[in-house]
This record gives sequence, C-alpha cells and structure tokens, in this order.
Amino acid sequence: MATTLPGTTSAGPSRAQEKNAPEPGGRRRSGWGLTVLIVLASLAVLLPLYFTVAMALKSSEEAATGSGFSWPWPMRFDNFATAWEMTAFPRAFAISLAVTVATVAGLVTLASCAAYAIARNWERKLFRWSYFYLLAAMFIPFPVIALPQIKLVSIVNLDNPAGVAILHILFGLSFNVLLYTAFLRSIPYELEESARLDGASTWQVFWRLIFPLLAPMNATVGIFAFLASWNDFMMPSLITSDPAMQTIPVVQSIFQSQFSANYNVAFASYLMAMAPTVLAYLFAQRWVMTGVTRGAIK
Amino acid sequence: MNVSDPRPPARPGRRSVLKAAALGAVAAPVLSACGGDGDGTRLRFYQSKPEVLGYFDQIIEDFHRRQSGIEVKHDATGSLVASFVRDAPFDLVCVNYNLDESGTFVGRGVLSDLAGLPEAGRIDPNVQALVGQYASYRDETSVLPYSVTAAGVIYNKDLFAQHGVGVPTTWTELIRACETFRSRSVIPVYGTYQAPWTISQGLFDYLVGGTLDVADFFARLKAQGTDVGPDSEVSFQRTFAPAVEKMLQLGSYANPDAASRDYPDGNAAFAQGKVAMYLQGPWAIGEITKANPRVRMGTFALPATDRPADRKARVNIDLSLWIPRGAAEPEAARQFLSYLMTPAVMDKYNAENLAFSPVRNAPAVTDERIVDLEPYVREARFYQGAGTYIPGIIPLTNYLQELVFTGDGDRFLGKLDNDWRRLAVRSL
Repeated sequence: MATTLPGTTSAGPSRAQEKNAPEPGGRRRSGWGLTVLIVLASLAVLLPLYFTVAMALKSSEEAATGSGFSWPWPMRFDNFATAWEMTAFPRAFAISLAVTVATVAGLVTLASCAAYAIARNWERKLFRWSYFYLLAAMFIPFPVIALPQIKLVSIVNLDNPAGVAILHILFGLSFNVLLYTAFLRSIPYELEESARLDGASTWQVFWRLIFPLLAPMNATVGIFAFLASWNDFMMPSLITSDPAMQTIPVVQSIFQSQFSANYNVAFASYLMAMAPTVLAYLFAQRWVMTGVTRGAIK
Repeated sequence: MNVSDPRPPARPGRRSVLKAAALGAVAAPVLSACGGDGDGTRLRFYQSKPEVLGYFDQIIEDFHRRQSGIEVKHDATGSLVASFVRDAPFDLVCVNYNLDESGTFVGRGVLSDLAGLPEAGRIDPNVQALVGQYASYRDETSVLPYSVTAAGVIYNKDLFAQHGVGVPTTWTELIRACETFRSRSVIPVYGTYQAPWTISQGLFDYLVGGTLDVADFFARLKAQGTDVGPDSEVSFQRTFAPAVEKMLQLGSYANPDAASRDYPDGNAAFAQGKVAMYLQGPWAIGEITKANPRVRMGTFALPATDRPADRKARVNIDLSLWIPRGAAEPEAARQFLSYLMTPAVMDKYNAENLAFSPVRNAPAVTDERIVDLEPYVREARFYQGAGTYIPGIIPLTNYLQELVFTGDGDRFLGKLDNDWRRLAVRSL
C-alpha cells in the first residue's frame, strides 16, 4: 500500500481509495467530465442571478434595449431606493415575515400533533377516518373555494394577515400530516413504551421524545411551508382587504402589467425580497439539503 | 430519559385555551375599529394602472389640500371581485373598462347610477355609448369614461421620409408601402406573436374594425342566440372571412422571427429604428419612448379598404370611474369623482398619458405621436376591438396564434362559431 493518499489515516485503507489512487490518466478524464457538469449546473443558478443583479442596476433605457448580458454603467443604485419607496418595503417585509413565521410555527406544531394522534390511534375508526378526511383536502385547490373563503374570512374579521396565516396552515395541513404520519410509523413504539413506564404523560412523551425525533421531518415541513408561504400571491391578494397590510409578492405586482413593465425597479425589488431566502439558505444549507431529500424519499 | 421531574406536565388547561380564543375573537374587531385615526370620512379609492400610480397619489394630495372632510385611501393591489364578495366594495373605482370584469359588474347591476351627476352630462354621447356595447343595466349610467386611448399603426417618421413613403390612406397604398420597405431591407411590420394578445389587439382588431361595423355585428350575433354556424345569418365564418384574408396578407410582411418575439421585443426593435410600422396603441409609445426618447413617430388609422373614408381608429376606455351601490361613502365618492373630472385634472391626465378626454369640446391634442388620430375620436369614426367583445372564456388569442402560424382561416372562424354557439347554449 505505497500509494495511499497523503493525509489519510494508515489504518486499513478502504477499497475505494485503492481504486482511486493509482491510475492517473483515467482519473483525470472522469474528473474533467464531472467539472464540466458542475460548471453547467452552477451556470443554471448563476446566470439568472447575474441577469437579476445586472437588471436591478440598469437605467430604464438600458433595461428596454440592451442585451441581458451587458453590465450597466454607470450602475443605478437608486432603483433600490425607488423600489423601497414604491412598495413601502419595511412594512410589507415585516408583514410577509410575520405571516411566514406564523405559518411555519403553526404547521410544524399542528401537523405533528395531529399526525402523532393519528399514527398512535390508527386502530380506532375516528382517527383513521380523520386522517383520510385531512388527506382529502389535498384534492381541493384554493382557487376553487376562493370566493366562499373570502366571504367566510371577512365575516369573522380575519380579512388580514392573521387570516392568511391561518389559511396557509389549514391548506398545508393535509400534505404535512401525510409526511409526519409516514415518518412516525418508522419510530419504534418501544421507545415510547419505556418513557411511559417511567411515568411520562402523553403530552410529555410527545414534546420530550417524539417531537425531537421528528427533527428531520420538522425541517422538511418547515422549509416547504416557508417557501410556499413566502412566495404565495393569490391568497394574500384575495384575503387581505387593507392595502397597507399586504405581503411582498402582492405589493410587487405594481411593477408589471400587460402593457408596461418597470424591469429595473422590479428586479431591484425582487432582489430585496429574495435576500432573506438566499441568506437563510446559505446558513441552513446542510439542513435544507437533507430535509429536501428526506421529503423526496418519504 | 429523565422523567423524575416532580413538576406536573406543562399543559395549558382547556379553560385557558378557550379564554385566549375568546379574547382574540373579541379583540380582533375592536382593534380593526381602532385603525381609523382621522375624524373625517375615509374614502377607499381603487386605481391600479402601474404607470400612473404616482400621478394619482399627487392628485389625492392636492385634493387633501383643498378640503379636510375626506381622506382618500389609494388601493393599488386589492381585488375588485374579492371586495364585492366580502360585501365591502371600494367607494370609488378607476379602472380599465372591459367586458369580463367591469362589464360583468355593470350587467349584474351592482354599480350605482351616475346619470344625475353634472359630470355625466359633459361626456361625449358617442364615447358614453361605447360603455353600453359590452353591458348595460336598465337605462342607468353605471360607468363614466375618464380616458380614451386610440390605437392605430405607429410608424417611424424618419424611415418613411428616408424611403419616400407617404402615410397610406388605402389598403393598396399600405401594401405598396410594405413592398417598398421590404425591398429596402427595412422590416415593414413588426409582429410579436409570442404575446398572443398583440395579435388580437393589432392584426385582428384593426382589419375586422376596418372592414365591418363591429358593434353592429356583435349586437346582431347576440340577438341571434344559439343558432350560430356557417349557414346562419350572422356568423364569424360568413362575415369575417375577408378581414382574415387581409390579416394574413399583412402578416406576411412581418419579421420572419415574429413567432418568437414578445411585446417588449417589439417595443425595443421599434425604438432602435429597425421597424417602419408597428400595430400597437399609445401604451407601446410610452415604452418605446422610455427605451429611446429620440425616435420620431406618429400614428395613423390602418386603412383596410380602398376608400379613404372607411378608415377608423380602434379605441378603448382606458380608465373609467364607477361607484358601487354598496359603497360605504357614496357622497364622498361623488365629491372626489367630481374633483377627478374637473377639466384641469382630467385634461392634464389625458394629455400626459397620450389619451383623449371623453368630454365634449375637449382641448385639442398636441402630441405629434397621436395627433393624427384626433379627428377619428372627435367624429366618432372609431370602434372597440372585435377581440374585446369576445368573453375571455373563448381562447381567441390562442386561436389567433394558431391562425398566423398555419394560415388556415376557415378552421379559425369555424372554431370561433363553435365556441360562440356552445357558450350561447350554456348561458341560456
């Protein structure tokens, strides 16, 4: 084993290392193929991002005529100021954030509680049927029941962001209960049994034992709920009656119509709205990836 | 797991949960009632045309300076349908007048009658008649036109002068102009077929409107009921065939890549001086000017026959004012409506936005980009686009896209007749 890579521990080199290390020719070629693939893949992300940043810094004239690739000069940072003012950005941002946080927190708690109750009482008819009842909601898209929802929500004085958050939670419930229930079935009942033997109540079992074990699924549900709620346009635009209480996607609709578009200001505004998502992603990348793939398998 | 914790489980009691819920239910309406801070009347005003949001904010500011009893709240993002559904419609609405949205509100009688207002008497009856062509409710005046835009062929004045082409007044002259431009390697007509609505707005509306009486056709078609087909007295197949033939003829002079060009591409190409003619309305002029303020352009009404007297302009009520019957503050709404319709405010808006005032004896239009269409508006030689009479549930613009790609006019008109009949059967 003279060809062990430097830096690897000498204790029993694996078969993979043996295979990788010696043949220099073959290894380089496969490395190139992979590099090209990664470059292409990253271009798919970086190119649109470049367009967005470049467009946000253009003048109206450059935005209308220039190519997407041309870098604006001089750069117009006042697009950001215009967008900030036109959308009343801090207020819209705060409302979007509040709705999203409430949705994520509400969904994670409510869906996990419901799924726990259902999964542990599967043999009882009431719980089994309530599971199917919740699942059935997946087949009802919001636009179909939009008008009665608007009416209902305004009768109970919830035609505001609180109502939007509640509806986001309710509409997310079915799919997320499905995810949680499937995941809960893989948690051995014996764990719970031992906790019960130690005298834990149901409430304690759930919060001290089950909920922490659900962490990967919490991440999945949280990420999907965050994206869906943050990006939603239709529900807040229909449900919220006070224009001063609108979320960012709705407020941003003023930049574009069929006949005219303020691309430069719009993109400056989009960048600002994207910022928290991008930042959250940068910091939480690891959990996002594991969370998303776990969601894909379950 | 450590469960030797002597504390009882941290469990919110049923009572406290119920108490909190009840408190929330009581607090919500109270809080929302606390929202109003001024002691005056609060007027909810809806206006969402993106280009003029700032303009209307300025008007509202001026209005606040003139009086103190009414506070206008400008909403640009709400939903009209939702506001009606929750029984809290806006007090005053200023929007584009069309068949599917405003027209529906008119037809259902949810808008108040404005006939008694002195402002209603100032509107040119020919323009007011346009409203009734989509929908009406009894004999009421539910909608007041605020701004009329006229559309025709936007042309590049420099290219026309450079190649010695005069503004065409007949169909033959128009085709000859296209030939000239083509032989000099200038794009005669720019097509943006990737945006289906532009085919309807341009080729379809102009050639149908230029060859037949659109309002009369649709009035007779509606009166005919469900019996629509190739053999019925009024039908698309019977009446529109010559217009469709001309559409395809004019369309053959479009840029070869028209299928993949979108509306902003068209504006950009015209701004760069590559295009002689562009079938668009004043909304495109604004976008072109934004891209290149130096391009010299004008607009002429597209001649679709060989008699110059047949030329007409396509118009639409770009902004209209209406007050729902259920408005909470109808009096304040009428007051603000009157202010919006004072000549100083209304004429300034229309002049700045390349539009025409709908009132009689409106001041002359001076902008060279639209001035040539003024006689058509004042003499009522105009029509609303044929495409705008067809409910959105019939996918006209998609059919048009298919038409310009395949050139199969019979198939296109047959589909329109079928769809129209099906809709008539269903809605009876």
